Amino acid sequence: MSPELLDSILEGRRSQPHQLIEVLHDVQEHYGYISEDAMKTISNDLGVPLIEIYGVASFYKAFSLKPRGKNVITMCTGTACHVRGAKPLLNQATSQLGVQPGETTQDGLFTIEKVNCLGACAFGPIVTENGDYHHDMSPGKLRKLIKSLHPTRTEETSHD
Amino acid sequence: MIKINTVSGVEALRKRLLKERKKFSATLSLCGGTGCQASGSRALIDAVKDQLVKQGVEKSVHVRLTGCHGFCEQGPIVVIEPGNIFYCHVLPDDADEIVSKTVCDGEVIERLLYTDPVSGKRIQTEAEIPFYLAQDRQIMAQNRHVDPCAIEDYIAIGGYSAIGKILSGTAPKAVVEEIKASGLRGRGGGGFPTGRKWAECREAPGDEKYVICNADEGDPGAYMDCGVLEGNPHLVLEGMMIGAWAIGARQGYVYVRKEYPLALERVRVAVQQARELGFLGENILGSSFSFDIEIARGGGAFVCGESTALIASLEGKIGEPRPKDVHTVVDGLWHRPTTLNNVETWANVPSIILNGSAWFASKGSNGSKGTKILALTGRIKNTGLVEVAMGTPLRNIIFDIGGGASNGNLIKAVQTGGPSGGCLPADKFDLPLDFEALAEAGSMVGSGGMVVMDEETCMVDVAKYFLTFLQDESCGKCVPCRLGIDRMLEIITEITEGRGHAEQISLLEELGYTVGETSLCGLGKTAANPVLSTLRYFREEYEAHINQKQCPAGVCQALITYGIDSEKCTGCGVCKDACPHEAIMGKKKQAHTIDLHLCQKCGICSSDCKFDAIQVH
Amino acid sequence: MLQYVNMKIDGGDFRATKGSSVLDVAIEYGICIPHLCHVPNLSEIGACRLCIVEHVVNGRSKVTTSCTLLVKEGMVIRSNTEKIKKLRRNIAELLVAQAPNSRAIQDIAVRCGVKEVRYPFRNENCVLCGRCVRVCSELFGAKAIGFVGRGKDRRVEPPFGVLSDLCKHCGTCIDLCPMTFNPCEGYMKSGEEHLCGKCESQMLLADNLPESCVWCELGEGFQCSRY
Ligand SMILES: Cc1cc2nc3c(=O)[nH]c(=O)nc-3n(C[C@H](O)[C@H](O)[C@H](O)COP(=O)(O)O)c2cc1C
Ligand code: SF4
Ligand code: SF4
Ligand code: FES
Ligand code: FES
Repeated sequence: MSPELLDSILEGRRSQPHQLIEVLHDVQEHYGYISEDAMKTISNDLGVPLIEIYGVASFYKAFSLKPRGKNVITMCTGTACHVRGAKPLLNQATSQLGVQPGETTQDGLFTIEKVNCLGACAFGPIVTENGDYHHDMSPGKLRKLIKSLHPTRTEETSHD
Repeated sequence: MIKINTVSGVEALRKRLLKERKKFSATLSLCGGTGCQASGSRALIDAVKDQLVKQGVEKSVHVRLTGCHGFCEQGPIVVIEPGNIFYCHVLPDDADEIVSKTVCDGEVIERLLYTDPVSGKRIQTEAEIPFYLAQDRQIMAQNRHVDPCAIEDYIAIGGYSAIGKILSGTAPKAVVEEIKASGLRGRGGGGFPTGRKWAECREAPGDEKYVICNADEGDPGAYMDCGVLEGNPHLVLEGMMIGAWAIGARQGYVYVRKEYPLALERVRVAVQQARELGFLGENILGSSFSFDIEIARGGGAFVCGESTALIASLEGKIGEPRPKDVHTVVDGLWHRPTTLNNVETWANVPSIILNGSAWFASKGSNGSKGTKILALTGRIKNTGLVEVAMGTPLRNIIFDIGGGASNGNLIKAVQTGGPSGGCLPADKFDLPLDFEALAEAGSMVGSGGMVVMDEETCMVDVAKYFLTFLQDESCGKCVPCRLGIDRMLEIITEITEGRGHAEQISLLEELGYTVGETSLCGLGKTAANPVLSTLRYFREEYEAHINQKQCPAGVCQALITYGIDSEKCTGCGVCKDACPHEAIMGKKKQAHTIDLHLCQKCGICSSDCKFDAIQVH
Repeated sequence: MLQYVNMKIDGGDFRATKGSSVLDVAIEYGICIPHLCHVPNLSEIGACRLCIVEHVVNGRSKVTTSCTLLVKEGMVIRSNTEKIKKLRRNIAELLVAQAPNSRAIQDIAVRCGVKEVRYPFRNENCVLCGRCVRVCSELFGAKAIGFVGRGKDRRVEPPFGVLSDLCKHCGTCIDLCPMTFNPCEGYMKSGEEHLCGKCESQMLLADNLPESCVWCELGEGFQCSRY
């Protein structure tokens, strides 16, 4: 983690406690997660008690406290996607990758996330892979998508 | 861009723009809404631009990348003027033909036209499509004429003339009165009279006041605010400016959901452009009015749509609601008087100012005026964003606009109001879209989500879905919501797994009542609605799960088994490859079978089978 | 100078200091309104919802928490209606199902008339009343612990889950925590949780005079702020 980047994120926001969430968004965007060290620096520079930063960072879904996988597979579980069959998709992802939503595979390649509605309900179920939208998904398409992201990866199929 | 510092300067700019635009021989509106982008409109845009250059007409054709046109189902959508020609499901490969034929020669390409599923006829213009015909599109219709990243487009269609009108001599108090007279009620869910809110905030003591636009749109399955903000951000900004003038605020905030990156980017550009042209900042249009807008990103928490939680979040804190014994209009952001309105509420303001409150009040039902945008989704033919006059019967929305069930099934219910709302059965479809009427029936208009459900939707599962959502999203502060939702979910889970017993129904009702009466914020207060409304109208489905251990819709995993219809199975082997639990056996080209001991009922095979051979028992 | 307002609670007329909450007034005059998250001199968060009352405005009554409701001239409050009793009992039932191994919570349940628990017991060691969090930050300014996570993951923790040198080991958080006393019979093993019902005599006392404080021992158990 380069301190210069964090420095530039904090630039112009120092001693402004209300900027906390915006700062955390930027840190999340640039580093992929929010580390303890980052929180300590932010606490110092914004003048917000560490416990509050920890509380905020753990409250909002947008922030993750652990590094995320290289590929983030986000499953829309909004109402419209749910009625159109988001559940089998989630089952596909979790059984193909062997991790639950919010978790990252051991090799650090994949993270599965859930999101409530991405605003593209008409084309559901929707899955995004690192921010790219895939519409009208089926378990088969998702399987190929995940494979295509890392063809050499051996599948850790879970049988429970 | 040069700053405009008089009201007449806006008019002059509009005249100049309109004159300049006459030189274009054609205008292409390409939908660049989130939906159409998901279905590939970005590649289309590049292809069209390439073709225009290639065919040497890029100077005389106006290409506009717009927000959502509403009929997302048919995306990517292109509308071409002159002629109002409507093309749907357009692919990048079609760009060549569109430019050479339609744009250059005015020739219509038959295969890209919309086919009416009822008559089977191809329809040439947008105006004739039944989906649009049955609507009353006051806000949504503007999207097609506006590139959200070009403030000129908004000005060209009459934008920023409402604020001009006000700054040339309407007293703030008169603005409040006008909004009051219009009967506009909040579009964010509660339906609180907007004029009254403004009046209270205006009268609240304090020099420093704020306006906030709530664009946190947390209802999972609704995207009206996304459609407006990403399609026509200046409309919302202008509404906020008028509100700020009325209540006496100098600073505004737009709180945008982080999951809407496109809306976020476009509203940022819009604020920047508005500043450059002098619509935001000090002494707007040369008047004494100064106002600016800041943008804040939401952090992915449904509860932050609630006004006090949103304010906490803007202050950089945990998005936890606080008791509202003193209202936010008096004690809001940084303990100062604050007016918080929904995106769509703000978007309605400029036209009320321009056309007058009587015009607005002429639309709608007794207590609910104007139009409302709805996100029509679920098991229905035409999904998309629709706008209708309030008071329109649900039936018209579902059948005339929505075109009925997507696959010939019987429509069983419609869910309105998202997680705070309820499910209404088909025999209630004559109810008007009206705040009071839907509330009496146990649901609500809410923010405008409308999810249509058919025979293959299990209502107990729907209730469970919303409870799971709410359990995830409850902030956890107060006991009834945190523990009550958790226990309701525990009970419903038992029911869907065939472990329920009869007394649990009354326990659910009592618990739902308690959670509703005693929770701290609106999330908890309405959390039981999905359960209570399904219990009220679909009790027999609960009873089937409990008494017969059956899921009539064939959804609840524990109560169903999967099997393969040997008649329909072609032995293609797709399901065998798909099954993560290796429960499917069979040779190529021969009917396959499922080993019920190995089957985990994940449903993957049935989603993947192209021959509809996998059946639920 | 102190200013006063006149208000009605359960039909009786009371003079109350402006700026105090309905709960403060009720406690001062010995009207029993059960409460858990309220602690004198700390901010009110309205989290436990046990102190609900009916607030009658223009003939319509609204259920709201008395700890967060400030007194007002002419205010009409009903603290012990059938509706309130039922709602309170349901909330207390949820609480005791979550934390049966706390004497304070057992006492609250008894006080609110819980006779049977219709949910499977769980055995949590925190009910998220936030007493510890507020005393730590508001009284001592230490801010060593706080609420972390959301919804069902919500918990009280020091930053990153490890006790830091922000904590001055004053122990006040523990003194205020309703979880620190086991029920009289001692700790109940998992699967054997139940309402102890030992306080029946106290309950009778409380039941017979539901509106007024009888200094029952239950209140001592749940740290009613009269003690
Ligand atoms: C749990 C919860 C979530 C809400 N989410 C939203 C939302 O996403 N967007 C919105 O505009 N209002 C939402 N509201 C309603 C707001 O609290 C508030 O009433 C509204 O923004 C006021 O604006 P209006 O009067 O223009 O509707 C929500 C309310 C609750 C209780
Ligand atoms: S009702 Fe739910 S979301 Fe609202 S304050 Fe209580 S716990 Fe939080
Ligand atoms: S630790 Fe004790 S005092 Fe703190 S919130 Fe939990 S129950 Fe309340
Ligand atoms: S996103 Fe293109 S029509 Fe809705
Ligand atoms: S909510 Fe009032 S004492 Fe807990």
